[in-house]
Amino acid sequence: MRQFLLFFRKEMMEMRRSFKWLWVPLVFLMLGIIQPVVTRFMPQILESSGNLPKGMTITIEPPSGSEVMAQTLGQYNSVGLMILVLSIMTLISGERQSGVSQMIFAKPVSYVSYAAAKWASMLSLVTASFVLGYAGAWYYTMQMIGNVETGAAVKAGLLYLLWLWFTGSLTLLMSSLLNPAAGIAFVSIGAAILLSMASGWLPRFTAYSPGSLPQISVRWLQASDAPAGAFGAAILCLMCMIFFFMIAAYQVKIRKSNV
Amino acid sequence: MDTMNSSIPWNLIMPLIVLQLILAVVGLLSLYKAEATRGPKWLWVIIILCGNIPGSVVYFVFGRKDAS
Amino acid sequence: MTRTLLQVRELSKRFKEREVVKGISFNITEGSCAALLGPNGAGKTTTISMLAGLLQPSGGSIELLVNGSPTTDRRPYIGFLPQMPVFYPWMTGVEFLLYAGELAGLTSREVKSETGEWLEAVGLREAGKRRIGSYSGGMKQRLGLAQALIHRPKLLILDEPVSALDPTGRKDVLTLLQRIRRETTVLFSTHVLHDAEEICDEIIMIRNGDIALQGSLDHVRRTYSEPVIRLEVGGDEASRSWLTAACGKDFVIHSEVSGGRAKMKVANVEQASRALMADAVSHRIMIRSLEAGHSTLEDLFLKVVQA
Repeated sequence: MRQFLLFFRKEMMEMRRSFKWLWVPLVFLMLGIIQPVVTRFMPQILESSGNLPKGMTITIEPPSGSEVMAQTLGQYNSVGLMILVLSIMTLISGERQSGVSQMIFAKPVSYVSYAAAKWASMLSLVTASFVLGYAGAWYYTMQMIGNVETGAAVKAGLLYLLWLWFTGSLTLLMSSLLNPAAGIAFVSIGAAILLSMASGWLPRFTAYSPGSLPQISVRWLQASDAPAGAFGAAILCLMCMIFFFMIAAYQVKIRKSNV
Repeated sequence: MDTMNSSIPWNLIMPLIVLQLILAVVGLLSLYKAEATRGPKWLWVIIILCGNIPGSVVYFVFGRKDAS
Repeated sequence: MTRTLLQVRELSKRFKEREVVKGISFNITEGSCAALLGPNGAGKTTTISMLAGLLQPSGGSIELLVNGSPTTDRRPYIGFLPQMPVFYPWMTGVEFLLYAGELAGLTSREVKSETGEWLEAVGLREAGKRRIGSYSGGMKQRLGLAQALIHRPKLLILDEPVSALDPTGRKDVLTLLQRIRRETTVLFSTHVLHDAEEICDEIIMIRNGDIALQGSLDHVRRTYSEPVIRLEVGGDEASRSWLTAACGKDFVIHSEVSGGRAKMKVANVEQASRALMADAVSHRIMIRSLEAGHSTLEDLFLKVVQA
């Protein structure tokens, strides 16, 4: 436990000094705000682009608050996911690559504590960033678009957060398996996108896939009733995370350094 | 439709601009303090200043060197 | 005090097809300073990494004996400095030592006093407050030594501690090592014989993953030194051909000639040098220098490396 805290404190300090604790939440917050702002000004934007024939007026059905929130989640599922993966991809591979791990692992340290600290710091960063961004999106939607149902928004947010945790865990797993940062990012983003698209193509086979979490949360926002499979997908997602963690901790143990 | 054409609510737009400014300033600050970067520093200054949000993000992800 | 501290038996490491370390065995006595000597690519770093617990051996055993009995986990008793140590550039020297010390199991109070002490010892008291990103190679090496020693290990393992340093940095680290070796057992790898001679009392020479020879420095010097004559003559044609002819004389067991110089292994130095001088006089050859003595460790090292 003491070693976990030591490692965790170091991870937090590193994230602070590398400004990760500033830029990741900031970018997530902006991502959250942009969607309602753009939606609100869409008619003006189209009008001022001036390509419309004279006399023609555009009538866009103003979207509901819940729909804008759902669109925001869509933003997070592309740009947000990428930012998340890029910001944590070298968390494990970086120390192995540079060689710092040689000095760390020559000391009587626990590999599980080491991996757990990586996980804990990743989860804190992801949670703080998403909660901030989602709260920003919610506030702006309420101000500029319209009402959002509280219960549905909270549940959708939690489910989506779970999906981000899953993607973060997947990235850390890849970081423990691979060395090149580009490879880690490519595999992690690719797998996440594939999983989430697969649940659109083959809904019957992927009912409980963690990849269906984004869709479930969007549906929850729009329909305001519990979609089928939410509970199963959440449980399976948590189990996958534990599994990824165990593989990563083992990888850390057998591949202490690159030399 | 009337409400849509109402004047722009600057009090809600401003925070977005301020956030973007903060991001750029933090990026420049980090660049200034960095011992070493991948590629020349002046290039990163341009990227951060002209690249809006993606510019700063690209700097934070790829510009910084983690090991020494 | 000649208790064995480290016992290595038939240690081997295979990477895919290539066997880098081929079953080496050696002991390290408590309180000694041993050098793992060998040319680049001999398997030094691989051996050191296995000893430090960073690499799983393919075969054999490594045992660390504390108070005479083997330990299950030797990491608490080992301090390790990798070749060209890498740190977190965003940490200060002090912060890294605190971190390293606590990871090694010191309490937060112990680690504070030890950090101050070791920073002083390695001459980084002032620089300790600065970020490691701004350190020079020599400073990093010294900080690396401090982090390896902070938990007062029984065995200090160093991988090429001075080879990447400039002369000043090299001298600093060697002076430090000389002081450290009085308190703890040291094992370090190097490809520079001179460094080994300067501080060690035991040498283990390895070549192609095998031990070529090992023993105490004195023992190796005595056993392997051979009577040798070093001869230098003028650069003219006559002198050179005489030198080549002289190397063919029957008292010369083995010889190496390059330009106007020759190194001859002989049975009896005194007799051989008299014969050579007389021969030179009769052929009216000018001898520039003649040195009668014994082969140095350097000769032995070169012989071992090139064999």
